[in-house]
Amino acid sequence: MLSYILRRVLATLPVMAIVALFVFSLLYIAPGDPAVVIAGDQASPGDVERIRQSLGLDQPFLVQFGTWLGHILRGDLGTSIFTGLPVAAMIAQRIEPTLSLMAITLVLTILVAVPLGVVAAWKAGSLLDRAIMAFAVFGFSLPVFVVGYVLAYVFALELEWLPVQGYTPLARGVWPWLENLILPSIALGCVYIALIARITRAAMLEVLTQDYIRTARAKGLGQGDILFVHALKNAAVPIVTVIGIGIALLIGGAVVTESVFAIPGLGRLTVDAILRRDYPVIQGIVLLFSFVYVLVNLTIDVAYTLIDPRIRY
Amino acid sequence: MTPSTTTAQALRPGLVVAPQLPELLRQVRVRRGILGFLRGHPTVAIGGALLVCLVLIGIFAPFLGTVDPTALAPAKRTRPPSADFWFGTDLLGRDIYSRVLYGTRVSLTVGLSVAALASLAGLAIGMVSGFVRWADGILMRFMDGLMSIPPILLAIALMALTRGSVGNVILAITIAEVPRVSRLVRGVVLSLREQPYVDAAVASGTRTPMIILRHILPNTLAPMLVQATYICASAMIVEAILSFIGAGTPPTIPSWGNIMAEGRALWQVKPYIVFFPAAFLSVTVLAVNLLGDGLRDALDPRMAKNL
Repeated sequence: MLSYILRRVLATLPVMAIVALFVFSLLYIAPGDPAVVIAGDQASPGDVERIRQSLGLDQPFLVQFGTWLGHILRGDLGTSIFTGLPVAAMIAQRIEPTLSLMAITLVLTILVAVPLGVVAAWKAGSLLDRAIMAFAVFGFSLPVFVVGYVLAYVFALELEWLPVQGYTPLARGVWPWLENLILPSIALGCVYIALIARITRAAMLEVLTQDYIRTARAKGLGQGDILFVHALKNAAVPIVTVIGIGIALLIGGAVVTESVFAIPGLGRLTVDAILRRDYPVIQGIVLLFSFVYVLVNLTIDVAYTLIDPRIRY
Repeated sequence: MTPSTTTAQALRPGLVVAPQLPELLRQVRVRRGILGFLRGHPTVAIGGALLVCLVLIGIFAPFLGTVDPTALAPAKRTRPPSADFWFGTDLLGRDIYSRVLYGTRVSLTVGLSVAALASLAGLAIGMVSGFVRWADGILMRFMDGLMSIPPILLAIALMALTRGSVGNVILAITIAEVPRVSRLVRGVVLSLREQPYVDAAVASGTRTPMIILRHILPNTLAPMLVQATYICASAMIVEAILSFIGAGTPPTIPSWGNIMAEGRALWQVKPYIVFFPAAFLSVTVLAVNLLGDGLRDALDPRMAKNL
């Protein structure tokens, strides 16, 4: 098992290297001189030359990539063209709101989607099941900003139950922090809930036909025990896998959700960076999120081998 | 003969007739043709019908009571919906009804183009990967790398470098979607290669291109078609997101994402600017997803039971 884990960890290294190479070479794939692209339309030839030198764009490609990779590995994500600050510092400044939003959405999703999927599988074919599945199709089709605006309009503007926009750091109290994140996380979680509910239902339907479920029923176990202890535990692997893969949805959605709810997180930073053509910042954010995404899925894969005795490699 | 035996059921004594069976099984009516197929799969019918309507709206946008969607009318700014301006007007006095209708063209063009391009590219890469052993490792590692970048971020990174245009949006989203399609096709190809009929074809001396054309390709079409609808839906959402955050279709072109982006600053006082394009986007994506779900159920009945 240890050798499997080691192999699995080592296998992510080439993946990360390809991500890094791709993110780096994006500047060169794009048509035109990278320095001109970064400088934008209003730049003078002097500006272009300055950018070319500060980014080392006059060096050969592989030398540039090597230097850049070396910096990345030491935690140096480069310098923002617009603010002149280190990208790593800018990301560190903005990471709390995004992490909070994603963490709450994740918790909310699991708390809502898994029970929905379990109930749908338990009552498969019933009206309740159909209603849940219909919700899943709708939830999957509603773009995150659409849900965001509707929620904000109804619960913040009309009913005035929750703040419309903004973010309060956790340091200023749990409720003020949570209050600002409830609507954004529902908006962001909608697609994710739909996805996880569907997968949970499918995995549970598979498990519920197994012999040990019949045995559990025969020995008189309660419905709750059968569903949530015996069945769900055995259906967990596909569910957790999709939760891991779905983090990509969460990351992409966070960029938009933060724009809708004016949350000063990494999503806002991305949008600002796009408008200013601040490419080192975009590179840094894409790298960071990809790294987190790979790491989460690696952790999940490794966790199976430790938790589930049926998995042997 | 006694009178009682003169009835139709004249029976010899001692013979018992079984009571007539109740109709337990309903008679199965085999439905044929396109109409029969649609009746058997109502989600395909609903999704397809909605989509046809939207395509017609896109094509005939100039004749549906619209005005020039880019015509400025500063005197008529931010009018609420009325008989003159069905969906109201935006910050620059442009008619939102016209803009939303013309926006249908952008969304559908992006959705359909990305679905077609990503399917073709994914099909090619997946085929090569499934048949050429030495290329498989390289291609799939590369696809794994691309797949590790969340699709929206990948599209954002690509768009941040290029000038905003519909073509570039299509290209960026296609690049973000290709890895998933190639993985799917490769998986299907690898499992098909193990099929006895492929072995038989190999044994009887059929050349590889012919095997691909006759045996592999037809069998990848069904899962590809289903995947293509999901790509189409996701591409339309990504296009709207890119335009919404200012990295998509140029602001001069009326797309749903652009209309929402322009209404964003005012949404608390003039929510209708955001509402109409949002509703159209949601309905369109829903239509495509319904079509995809229906097609999956129709083409792969094994999956239909569970998902």
